[in-house]
Amino acid sequence: MAGFGLAGVAHAQDKPKGTIPDKPFKIGHMTFFTGAGAVLGEPMYKGNLLAADEINAQGGLLGKRKIEILKADEAAGTDANTKEMRRLKLSEKIDLFMGITSSGNSPALGPVAEELKLLTMFVDGCTDFLFDKAVPNPRYIFRITNIQSADGSTCAVGVALTWPDVKKVAHIHPDYSYGRNCFDHFSIVTKKLLPKAQNVSEAWPKLFSTDFTPHITKTLAAKPDLLVTSLWGGDYNAFYKQALQHGLFEKMKVATTLAFGSAPQSVGKDHPEGVLTGVHSNYHFTYPAGNRWPANKTFVEKYKAKFNEYPNFQAEGAYTSTYALKTAIEKANKLMGGWPDDEAIISQLEGMMIAGPGGYVYIRPDNHQGYKDAITGFSKNVPEYPFPILDPDRIITIPIRNITAPPGWPKGEPTSTYTWIDQTWPQVKSA
Amino acid sequence: MDILVIHLFNALLYASVLFLIAGGLSLIYGVMRIVNLAHGNLFALGAFITASAVGQWFAGSSSALLFLLLPAGAVGAALIGAILEPTLLRPFYRRPEEYQLLVTFGILMILEDLMRFIWGPYPVSATTLFEQMGSMKVGEWIYPRYNLLVIAIGALAALFLWAFIYRTNFGVMLRATSQDMRRASALGVNVNLVYVQAFTIGCFMAGLAGAIIVPSQSAVLGMGVDALVLSFIVVVVGGLGSLEGALVGALIVGLIREIGISVFPEIELAVLYLIAAVVLLVRPAGLFGKAT
Amino acid sequence: MTATLSALKTRSPLKIVVWAVPIAVLLALAPYVIEPYHTILLGYGLIYAIAVLGFNLLLGYTGLLSFGHSAYFGVGAYAVAFMVKYLHTQSMELFLLGAIVASVLVTTLFGYVCVRYTRIFFSILTLALSQVLWSLAFKFFWVTGGTDGLRVPTPKLLGVVTGEHEDKIEFLSHGYYHYVLVVFIACVALMWLIVHSPFGKALQAIRDNETRARFVGIQIRRYRLVAFLVSGVFTGIAGALWVPLNGLTTPDILYWPFSGEIVFMAVLGGFRNFTGPIVGAVVFNYLKTYAVGFTVYWQALLGLVLVVLVVVLPTGIVGTAKLLAAAARRRSAR
Repeated sequence: MAGFGLAGVAHAQDKPKGTIPDKPFKIGHMTFFTGAGAVLGEPMYKGNLLAADEINAQGGLLGKRKIEILKADEAAGTDANTKEMRRLKLSEKIDLFMGITSSGNSPALGPVAEELKLLTMFVDGCTDFLFDKAVPNPRYIFRITNIQSADGSTCAVGVALTWPDVKKVAHIHPDYSYGRNCFDHFSIVTKKLLPKAQNVSEAWPKLFSTDFTPHITKTLAAKPDLLVTSLWGGDYNAFYKQALQHGLFEKMKVATTLAFGSAPQSVGKDHPEGVLTGVHSNYHFTYPAGNRWPANKTFVEKYKAKFNEYPNFQAEGAYTSTYALKTAIEKANKLMGGWPDDEAIISQLEGMMIAGPGGYVYIRPDNHQGYKDAITGFSKNVPEYPFPILDPDRIITIPIRNITAPPGWPKGEPTSTYTWIDQTWPQVKSA
Repeated sequence: MDILVIHLFNALLYASVLFLIAGGLSLIYGVMRIVNLAHGNLFALGAFITASAVGQWFAGSSSALLFLLLPAGAVGAALIGAILEPTLLRPFYRRPEEYQLLVTFGILMILEDLMRFIWGPYPVSATTLFEQMGSMKVGEWIYPRYNLLVIAIGALAALFLWAFIYRTNFGVMLRATSQDMRRASALGVNVNLVYVQAFTIGCFMAGLAGAIIVPSQSAVLGMGVDALVLSFIVVVVGGLGSLEGALVGALIVGLIREIGISVFPEIELAVLYLIAAVVLLVRPAGLFGKAT
Repeated sequence: MTATLSALKTRSPLKIVVWAVPIAVLLALAPYVIEPYHTILLGYGLIYAIAVLGFNLLLGYTGLLSFGHSAYFGVGAYAVAFMVKYLHTQSMELFLLGAIVASVLVTTLFGYVCVRYTRIFFSILTLALSQVLWSLAFKFFWVTGGTDGLRVPTPKLLGVVTGEHEDKIEFLSHGYYHYVLVVFIACVALMWLIVHSPFGKALQAIRDNETRARFVGIQIRRYRLVAFLVSGVFTGIAGALWVPLNGLTTPDILYWPFSGEIVFMAVLGGFRNFTGPIVGAVVFNYLKTYAVGFTVYWQALLGLVLVVLVVVLPTGIVGTAKLLAAAARRRSAR
């Protein structure tokens, strides 16, 4: 069977029960196809496409319904995206909505999807706000990649493990919900684990800026031990190149939440080594490596063969989402026969545990959020790849249950995870 | 103390780019009484053309060649301006102002997608020159030399423009046309020629701004729309139609942005619009402008 | 200038009724005839029509081109969002009231600064001021939600609660659509009265010849300010109607290209006619929606339409239609 298709079921594909229509299954896919966000967002579509092609090669979903993907550009803006989601559902009659990169868009689109009764799998747009406040009791919407609070926390845990002596911390974050979320969670975890650390500088450039010179200068002036940044995509790439010329990386340690989340080849080998380069706490294609997790090996090979580049966490997320959908449809069909309606698919997605290329993903039934062990690492240049990767000898993995709020924890401000960390984590006493 | 020098450099860097864009806008308005809403996109075109020339077509060539190619964007933008003015703008001079504004808005939209069509959706970068020039010591810090080159180009452009407008015959004709078009025409000035030349110079300036900024940043879709708003702030502060105003406005905006980011990081964006608002309330024509 | 003169000609109310009533009836019947998606789209069109109708009081009748009308639309929208956030209001009527109050405040402030100038300076001032609002909405995220925006849930229309379980799409394409239609008709009627009143005539006099108007005794600046106010309030009402339809408001609605679209809509329909803005708004809404769905280069398509429009059909759809009709009438009269 092509793809990884394991999903805990070891035997070959059973024949579906009952009559299955053969009209195509339409997926509306929205992600960044243009602008600085595209280097991070566009691979999401590729992951979806790879999975769809593999499934279609077998005849389609349940062997009968081929997947058709309609593209939409998230760069059009939140308003336009809302209209487009409505149009895709009401006019194009899509069966499923998949995608979204920016945390600015998922809280806007989530409620609209619920109104439209549109089965939705957000691949990213990971802000806690979606399930904390915007849609606290989701029915139709799911989200597969790790919740945003994991990013700041993973980064902070990574810093505490590697550089526990930092005292002065500087911040550069894009001025929108993702940046603020990373800042908040990094801060609360650091408060618990590194009580001596203090913030000495903050900078909040607008998302999709191209000039970071003043922010770099401000950071340098504060003489911090560590810079924490959640800049991503084209922003991060512009930032590190400018920072190199200011000698920033020599003067302080740098920890990021998402530096290596973009398509891997977009970062050059001039990127300094030893930077804590986050991958949205989700996935980097080099881990697990080799035969340690065959599903990853196969996925990376197929992706490279088809697109001539390596996958990022968005690609893996979309790929896993598509297979989660397929598995849910197959299970529902086995129970009930015929083509399952949305309610049936939802019931099978809730509580599903699926083994994707990046690891096990558990879709929690109460908030429809996917949980996967978090990962981060350090940048390193190796001869095998023309771009930097995560140093295979220094990968940090964190069980996701240790850094995100559990089921039953009440919703909180700014996020549930924040209040959970604040109230339940032990406070490290400084030596 | 050295850090203040670096802050100053940053402010001048931003001011140089802003001056070139806003100066071009102001020049075009001063001579032709047209506010070109597509002006920001000529800045973007300059950036993309140079990024292609330096980063793709001639990538790997010697630094000397790459330097010579840097103004390619400016030349490209000027050419496009020279084509646009006689074809799409001239028919509107006798028409009410609203139509001029609208046709330039239409051109803005067309150019935006033209760039996307030619250069694709991803940012285009050309960082070789930026990296090759390296950094120099400023006290205990290092600072990219390329940024200083940009400041120098901005200063040279200001100087050159001033000389051009106040010390050459062409400059006299330009000023005559801007002060009183009919009388200049009656005195034998070829107004059409002056118009297309002024427009071309304005576009050249915008394109040059884009060209020189590309090595340290990148050419991204949407940069034109953002740039237009910034240049509007500069002309609001400095006064529309005045080159001195564009220079002073650019310096003020550059300085306040730098101070804002350093001292009030939360309000980084708003601070620029606040300056504009304050000037609007106190002296709506701008520091050097004359309002009708 | 025939277009201007025809705007001054008083039409007998009967003539208006003859074509206005059938159109109103058709619009009212829309939800029963066309798909919900198209009804919602039409709803958006009517809302934009109110906004552009307001805008055109300044452009078509007073001769002032505002390039910052997104500000008042946004003020209306955010006023509603704030009422939801801080006052937990649910009543649509209170929303409209709040939007009107907020628009009056903002337009008075902005108008006071702007009407001292005309022509290009006026346009630039309006643009700059709208950008100030945009940056505030963007930056004060703890109040405005920043780029995430603020959600506005289903409102209560005339005190009638629409249950949580009722289909939102049903609501938007039937109940809410009819509500919007009623407000739209009221706004059109009100604007009609305004432009045909002595006030309206005075505005046109100012537009045509400022000096002469002043000699006649009209206080230019005051009239302009009132026009600015009325114009902004209409657009604010449109913003308030828009936000429950959209579900949320973000700073995007304050960003200057939206002001450009409002101008586009007026020019598309014909800004020298009363009905031009209405037609322009509805047509533009469909144009943009289909362009976005049709090609990834929709901006170029719209830009091209605008350029062609300005070059070939400067009087817009309604203006050109009138010219053609007049030409046909002349030919048949011979």
